[in-house]
Amino acid sequence: MSTLWLAPALVLYVLAVFLFVSDMVQRQTRLNGYALIALGAGAISHTMDLITRGVQAGNMPVGNFAQSLSFLAWIIALASLVMIVRFKMPAIGAFTTPAVVMALGAAYVMMPNEAHRLPSTLRSAWLPIHVTLAFFGEALLMLAASVSLVYLVHDSRLKAKRSLGMIGGKLPSLEKLDRINYRLLGWGFVLLSLAMVTGAIWAANAWGRFWSWEPIECWTLLTWLLYAGLLESRLAAGWRGRRAATLTIALFTILVGSYLGVSLVYPGKHGGSFG
Amino acid sequence: MAFELLIVGLNHQSAPIEVRERLAFAEAEVIPALSQLKQAAPSVAEAALLSTCNRVELLAVAPESEQAAQELRDFLTLDRRVNAGAFESALYHLEGREAVRHLFRVGASLDSMVLGEPQILGQLKLAYTQAVQAGTLGMILHRTFHRAFSVAKRVRKGTLIGHGAVSVSSAAVGLAREIFDTLKDKTVMLLGAGQMAELTARQLAKLGVQSLFIVNRTFERAATLARELGGTAVTFDNYKPYLKIADVLIGSAATARPLLEPDDIEPILRERRYRPMFLIDLGVPRNFHERLSALENVYLYDIDDLGRAVANSRAERAREAEKAEAFVAEEVEGFWRWLNGLELVPTIKDIRSHIDRLREGEFQRHRAWLATLQPDERNHIESLTRGLANKILHQVTTELKRANGLVDGVYAAEIARRLLGSDLTAKQAEPDDSEDFFDEDPGRRPLVRGSRR
Repeated sequence: MSTLWLAPALVLYVLAVFLFVSDMVQRQTRLNGYALIALGAGAISHTMDLITRGVQAGNMPVGNFAQSLSFLAWIIALASLVMIVRFKMPAIGAFTTPAVVMALGAAYVMMPNEAHRLPSTLRSAWLPIHVTLAFFGEALLMLAASVSLVYLVHDSRLKAKRSLGMIGGKLPSLEKLDRINYRLLGWGFVLLSLAMVTGAIWAANAWGRFWSWEPIECWTLLTWLLYAGLLESRLAAGWRGRRAATLTIALFTILVGSYLGVSLVYPGKHGGSFG
Repeated sequence: MAFELLIVGLNHQSAPIEVRERLAFAEAEVIPALSQLKQAAPSVAEAALLSTCNRVELLAVAPESEQAAQELRDFLTLDRRVNAGAFESALYHLEGREAVRHLFRVGASLDSMVLGEPQILGQLKLAYTQAVQAGTLGMILHRTFHRAFSVAKRVRKGTLIGHGAVSVSSAAVGLAREIFDTLKDKTVMLLGAGQMAELTARQLAKLGVQSLFIVNRTFERAATLARELGGTAVTFDNYKPYLKIADVLIGSAATARPLLEPDDIEPILRERRYRPMFLIDLGVPRNFHERLSALENVYLYDIDDLGRAVANSRAERAREAEKAEAFVAEEVEGFWRWLNGLELVPTIKDIRSHIDRLREGEFQRHRAWLATLQPDERNHIESLTRGLANKILHQVTTELKRANGLVDGVYAAEIARRLLGSDLTAKQAEPDDSEDFFDEDPGRRPLVRGSRR
């Protein structure tokens, strides 16, 4: 199955990446307005693609790995848009849009041609709730990692005393980045927790048990614990700044690793082979 | 030439901070040092000392520049107790027109680490006042300083060199805003109330900070500044407990060793729950140990770092600086004409032509009456006035020749010019507005001022 919307979305996202990065690297330009438009247009096109697919399949278009990736890319794109506008920090676009492009690019290549209908046992109201919560949570954690990356870049520039160079003036302050990182982590963690709860309820409805020790479940539980630990270290020991940013990125790498690794190497129900 | 204006010194371009901090003079040391210099350098007729974070320069007037330069070098070695080898290669030696140009460029902030930064003019004025108090200033340096002030003023007004964030303090403020989102909930602490630190604190206070602590060895100074900026004064022995609430720490205290080392800050960071600390070290010698920079969430900038950080803005101002250089070149020429006019031959020539002009003028004024006279009567008056003029000139010339070769000679020439109304600078078109800088200073009227109109 293919829609007319996916390729334009991908092209617009690539354009957004190009504009965000050039805006950050060049001092004199004011490209971030155009970059935002490209990202917004890409997101609209992407939304149309998802709607078309959803209507064709008759359920939320997350029936296989490629579609999940596409959905994740969409959420990251939307969340970046909101964050750029809300916190007035176009610099973050240069870090998040490449992730959008990578996810959607992979999805585009892998996208199967036939519409994917889920087995009827799984078609329930819990599907969109569980999947949306999980992906939103992951998107927020991804953004937290992006913000942390910006933090590390800015921090090392300040440490190296090259801060007022090319991109220094365009990056948000460290304090702001750290605060946003904390908020994103908090909300991402809450959504991830809710996703686990709703997933368990959905599983109980579909298969009669809350937890089936699937690899993805175990990995998610592990990352959930690690994120809990990270938030705890912030609250209790006051770890912040560079250390918190590094850990945020490390944990997100583990999260992505479990998502990709488990889906590709050991596909259980979450990898798309529902049964 | 009977005398030479010379500058011996080093600056941020010729010497790294490690060398400058060993040669730097604290504010209170300058006047005693100048008094010392009078003994140590007998061939120096006039002297001033400019010591800032970015430069240590001795300005002098002497009949024998080579010898004077040697004396000045020896003085630095002796007075600062530094091996000559440690700084000699960084030392520059400027004479005559180059020295004038250098001083004008320094005053106009064209030689500053941060192009166009405004503090240097104040520091130059201080150097002038200190030299006046030490009694080492004579006519030539008086004049050179005042000219430098008015050049600085002209440059500041006539170019955009002072625009944008290029000063050390505003660079520090800019950095603070890269680290902190807002300063409204931050505490700023001044360790030492140096001028640059004060300026930085003022700029931060203008943005609004939650609280401001001022620590100074002279507590009265801390108290005065605290009152003015709405802060709290803390005594120097008592500041350590306050460190844990300081988000921005500005060091400018006079110290031989770093006041704060990693061992002092590490426990504080834990107590602060790793909230970032911005350490601005404006001190020369440095106040904060450089290894503090390795600590997480601690951002340490010394005066050289801040200078480097704004180097980019420099490029943008290069165009304005070129305009300023043109002003300076023009002013140097004008000043050089005056300085050279103090030489014997041109002085006598100028005075003679001036008296001739006066005589001419009188003849013109009385030409109607002169026309009624017989030719021999007219000739008689002509030779009578010429004789009178020659008699006056002869006296002046003899005295000037006698003074020639001595440093005093140039002063004699200047005085002769002024007494006989052929003052060179009085004829210059632009106003001498240097007195604007010294309204508050009773010692501002130099012994000999040439440019009152």
